[in-house]
Amino acid sequence: MNALSMILKKEFIHIIRDTITLSLVLAMPIALVLLFGFTISTDIRNAKISVLDQSKDTQSKYLIDRLSASGYFQVISYPNNEMEIDYDFKNKDIKLALIIPPNFEGSLSKEHSATLQVINDVSDLNVASILNNYVRAVVQRFTSDYNDEIKQGDGNFDITVKMLYNPESNSVYMFVPGIITLIMVLVTALLSSITLAREKETGTMRMLLITPVKKLYIIIGKVIPYMIISFISTIAILVISVTVFKMPINGSLLMLLFLCIIFMLTAASFGMLISSISRTQVDAMMITMMGLFLPTVLLSGFLFPLNSMPMVFQVLANIFPAKWFILAIKDVMIKGSGFFDIWFYLLILFIMAVVFIIFSISRLDKRN
Amino acid sequence: MSAINIRGVNKTYDGKVVALKDIHLEVEEGEVFGLVGPDGAGKSTLFNILTTLLLPDAGDIRIFQMDVIQDYKAVRQIIGYLPGTFSLYPDLSVQENLDFFAVMYKSSIEENMNIIEPIWKQISPFKDRKAGKLSGGMKQKLALCCALIHRPRILFLDEPTTGVDPVSRKEFWDILKSIRQHGITVVVSTPYMDEATRCDRIALIQNGEIIGVNPPQTIIQNFKGHLYTFKSDDIFSLLQVMEQCPLRCNYYPYGEHCHVAFYEDMETAMPQFERFLEEHQQPHSKITAIQPSVEDCFIEIVKEPINN
Repeated sequence: MNALSMILKKEFIHIIRDTITLSLVLAMPIALVLLFGFTISTDIRNAKISVLDQSKDTQSKYLIDRLSASGYFQVISYPNNEMEIDYDFKNKDIKLALIIPPNFEGSLSKEHSATLQVINDVSDLNVASILNNYVRAVVQRFTSDYNDEIKQGDGNFDITVKMLYNPESNSVYMFVPGIITLIMVLVTALLSSITLAREKETGTMRMLLITPVKKLYIIIGKVIPYMIISFISTIAILVISVTVFKMPINGSLLMLLFLCIIFMLTAASFGMLISSISRTQVDAMMITMMGLFLPTVLLSGFLFPLNSMPMVFQVLANIFPAKWFILAIKDVMIKGSGFFDIWFYLLILFIMAVVFIIFSISRLDKRN
Repeated sequence: MSAINIRGVNKTYDGKVVALKDIHLEVEEGEVFGLVGPDGAGKSTLFNILTTLLLPDAGDIRIFQMDVIQDYKAVRQIIGYLPGTFSLYPDLSVQENLDFFAVMYKSSIEENMNIIEPIWKQISPFKDRKAGKLSGGMKQKLALCCALIHRPRILFLDEPTTGVDPVSRKEFWDILKSIRQHGITVVVSTPYMDEATRCDRIALIQNGEIIGVNPPQTIIQNFKGHLYTFKSDDIFSLLQVMEQCPLRCNYYPYGEHCHVAFYEDMETAMPQFERFLEEHQQPHSKITAIQPSVEDCFIEIVKEPINN
């Protein structure tokens, strides 16, 4: 048996005999994806709204029906004037009010345009903007159906907002790539850095270093087992996302898996880098949390859009692998991009991995 | 031929803590060389430097003519190392640990069975037990097996018997004797002075300095004082009283006994001493002269007698 396969065998024995960590690692991704998917979901169902219908004609009734039928809204009152709308906001807990102008149907048929007014409760900005998006989506569908109905080739409504790829702003589509990233960072970077730091802490690393075994083997032997576990987790997340949350995988599955493998390599090498500069398992854990986990959550564009951040953070985000991975995985899963669309991201991730590994090998056998 | 040649080695940690001061040592091939000193004397630092895991600040170290700084890779091929703390994988079984290190050294258990056999015989009944679940003595025997698996020319043992029961300690030293028959040079450190007599030569180390290198018999012969021992029911009050003793002597508790080394003419000093104890109402057993141990010699070297 050669040295590398012996090291791999040893790592797998460590993993399998540590049943608590193993079950945690395998159960956590599933728990996380369900948690995010069901509870932290930003999808809003049956939001209470009021509609001030000033025209009360066929088309306005039809639009109101469309709103109710969408499932996003529940029309709970039909105020008669704007004063009553105000009352509804204060006392009936409505989140949004829609004002349909007088002579709605007439304007549609004659001027091919109509102005709808939306009043939002912006005390919760997130909810307000999500509901706005829903209204736009419903109105857009309403207008396109209307145009089809009256068979007017070029006559149409000017709907300026066009939502591609995720027309319903379904948040699961946003969360799944983020969760995959988080899991891969947690499993590969955190665990592999802890296991290497453990060897330093317990002194087994010194025993390994004075053997003639190649340093590269020690590093690779730590990286591969956690990549495999993380790969299993990724598959589990994808299966749940597709079956439970109906998340589409628009790109090729092979491309997606290849991308994940490259990112796992980057994350695991980052873990090696961290453990090469930390002395104990606690050090490794803290540095991974502060140096990798937080940036992954905050600076990857997963929860908070990068382009609304100060320039410093936008630049800073570039040095963390997660940003590039999230860009690439969204492209593959949602837009259906192929290799030639994302090769640049892959290249960046791969170069990062190589740099991290070279650096950790050079740090591993520091003799002072 | 000298197995180890150390000249002028210094090591300071963080620019403040001086661990080793101008160490000069020579270890002959095939001998069992002991490094004896209290905790914190610098033994482990010296071992880390000798095993190529730590760089000295200054000095030149050759192991079989190879420089441990430049040729560290070649040095690593010929050394075996048993660190001061248990450094095997606790979740791997005895057999798995041994297999692992055999492969790491590109060696095999069968090839080197003749060296490790006396140890392997003792631990093989537990070969499926996890290393972390072994007793202290068994752990050290397993670690010794792993350190010998590539047939090193020189074996470094950093406090191999610390935390090991007296029976296992004796067995361990018997094993070292058998290892030596294979021509392997053994360098062993220990805080237990009684073990030092089992070495061919010992170096006494204190505060990072070597304070003497000799065979244990020579060290004992060089003892200058007259050593006496007696028992007291209240060692604590005895030691307080001893502070006022008018004689030139060194006193220290030794187990439940008190050892006193006198630097006087004993014909007049002994009656004087007995009177002194009586005056201070210190009941004691018979005061008998004894042969010094290495520990007594060590104390004589590092501690000034009172009334000097």
